[in-house]
Amino acid sequence: MTMLDRLELWKTQGTISPEQQALFSSLVREEPFSLSLELNILLYAGVLAFVAGLGWTVSTWSQQLGAVLIVLTLSLLLAACAWYCFTRATAWSPAETPAPTHLFDYVLYLGCLVWCIELAYLENRFHILSGQWDLYLLATALLFFFRAYRFDNRFVLSLALSSLAGWFGFTISRWPSFQNGAYREYALLYCLVVGVSGAVLQRLKLKPHFFGTYLNIVANVLFWTILSGIFEHEDFSEYGLWLLALLVVCGGSLTWGLLRRQFAFVAYAAVYGYIGVSTILVRNIRDEAAMLMYFVVTSIAMVVMLVVIARRFGKERQG
Amino acid sequence: MRLYFASDQETLRAHRLLKEWNHEDLLSKEQYERLEQETVSELRTTNVFLRLVLLFFTIVAVAAATGLFFTLIDRGFSDSATGTCFLVFAVLSYTAAEFAVTQGRLYRYGIEEALAICSVAFLCLGLVSLLSGNSHHSERAAFFVVSGMGTVFSLWLWHRFGLWYAFAAAMIFALFLPEYWTPSHAAQRSIICLLYAAGLVCVKAIRSRHRFDYLEHDYSLAEAFLWLGIYLVLNLKLSAINTPSDWWTKTSAGSEFGATFYWTTWALLWCLPPLILTRGVRLKDRFVIAAGMITTILTLVTNKPYLGWQRHTWDPMLLGIVLVAVAVLLRRWLAQGQDGVRHGFTAANMSAKHKHAFGVASSVFGLLTPHAITPAPQQQSPKFESGFGGGSDGGGSSGDF
Repeated sequence: MTMLDRLELWKTQGTISPEQQALFSSLVREEPFSLSLELNILLYAGVLAFVAGLGWTVSTWSQQLGAVLIVLTLSLLLAACAWYCFTRATAWSPAETPAPTHLFDYVLYLGCLVWCIELAYLENRFHILSGQWDLYLLATALLFFFRAYRFDNRFVLSLALSSLAGWFGFTISRWPSFQNGAYREYALLYCLVVGVSGAVLQRLKLKPHFFGTYLNIVANVLFWTILSGIFEHEDFSEYGLWLLALLVVCGGSLTWGLLRRQFAFVAYAAVYGYIGVSTILVRNIRDEAAMLMYFVVTSIAMVVMLVVIARRFGKERQG
Repeated sequence: MRLYFASDQETLRAHRLLKEWNHEDLLSKEQYERLEQETVSELRTTNVFLRLVLLFFTIVAVAAATGLFFTLIDRGFSDSATGTCFLVFAVLSYTAAEFAVTQGRLYRYGIEEALAICSVAFLCLGLVSLLSGNSHHSERAAFFVVSGMGTVFSLWLWHRFGLWYAFAAAMIFALFLPEYWTPSHAAQRSIICLLYAAGLVCVKAIRSRHRFDYLEHDYSLAEAFLWLGIYLVLNLKLSAINTPSDWWTKTSAGSEFGATFYWTTWALLWCLPPLILTRGVRLKDRFVIAAGMITTILTLVTNKPYLGWQRHTWDPMLLGIVLVAVAVLLRRWLAQGQDGVRHGFTAANMSAKHKHAFGVASSVFGLLTPHAITPAPQQQSPKFESGFGGGSDGGGSSGDF
């Protein structure tokens, strides 16, 4: 029985109204066929291509075009984007708000990306901050956070988090005695700052739908940091703390994923946890057969555990 | 022939649609609860993340078990003995995949998919070992047999299990078949196109019987892959992707192909995108429309290298303007129709499913964009070149992080 037959049957049984049957039938037949997804992809690709070309042109022809023309053009473009966004935006609300026009999000993206190009050009041409890239990145991150929260845009939020990560990264890259340990400390600090900020903002009900983005980024950065700590140290006295951290974070991620039905976190716990623990256990195994046996047994155990989780959640959902 | 009953798959589809409509508040709570009971499927499905993780761990388990077998048993095994062992593993993997579906009722669960993938890999490894150990076969013949068997077996998996990527794998295996028949690259490309075109004719004939049922999606995807495959094989400039610096600068028009073949492919590259788009629009097929959009953009991007013209740094800007203009004009044109609908098409908001997918994708792209928009400057660029693509990635994430 196809879905259309089923809808007809449900209408006859009185489970759904004739209006609902007509609506659902049209949805199954995709009548009318919405091209919204395709048009959005075209707009997104168009903005990206435009900005890529703009960046390329500015970097290649900066001498020939001259600083005045470049700065003026970029500033005008930036101002036009800002004007469009601020004049079209609806009144701010802490809840999720739809874009006021279909072009709005893309003009916002364009403005953000042109800002990046202009900033890079200004610093490289005039050395205003004498190469203090950290401050540019911090300022960019703050601006993008403002725009993301003002205009309710997840793409700009990701740009802000990415810029903030760059700020942390750049501080480390200039660290006088560069070490991975210091890098990890900053990564942990980044996770702490972003995670706590995300949680506080969610608690304050300020764009609570952004919390998922914060959490996914923090989880991935945190797992990578912990794994790098495990990979680098050979002695238990050195990696013991990282192993403990891995187990704690895996437990937290698993619990969160199961309680909130966000299975990405279950997947993070399973994969990152397996890689970290296996790295430690396999490190000292010299016998090839024993090592392969380890992978056979543990991966089957993981499959069984995940099947149990999947089945348990399936049952709960039905009940 | 198919491993899953049509009724099970239709029920599963109905269940998913109900969930989607409930999410969009098109059903009352009572209606949803009642209809949900009527669409309970016997098939066991799981979340996409658990599916991927189960796929990963099953592949690790099978690969480690195979490695363990050869470590423990292999004491001077000949190539043919190794090949036979791999073929036995292929049979075992395939049987296990069938068993997981028939007995475990697994559907897109990761486990049965991993076993099916492993069976293809073992089959190919087995044939390679068997044929390379046999001095009667030339390397080319061995390669042909492996590609041929890979194609046939992948197609079988696509048909039997309904795994969309098995069809793509079959197309990739088919790419290597013509090498056995002819050393000419032009002839090879022509043969591949003919094979894909034959596939297209078959899919076209079959899919008309599955309008609005659960198989429509599978055939739609297969058709889109075939169109895309034909285009990519014909586009001679995309094969230069290994040397992007050559691709970006002025390139010679003739290259290794004859002038007739070269210019025929160029003409076809301009004919195919409108053809694919027309077909997609006529069928209201999202995948075929997507294939049409991709091929159109690729034609615009590769046209200059094809003609041997110098590319400019502002070409991407022009492309961007064209894409945005097309999107805006099309949206306006559709919106001006009665109730925002023209010829059965609308630019109105996408479904909740698409909206969610687009939201997730935009978050991910937001993290990657700073790297994408700041390409490394060209060699001949003037002094202002240290800033882009170097340290800062244009205000986005740093290289360190």
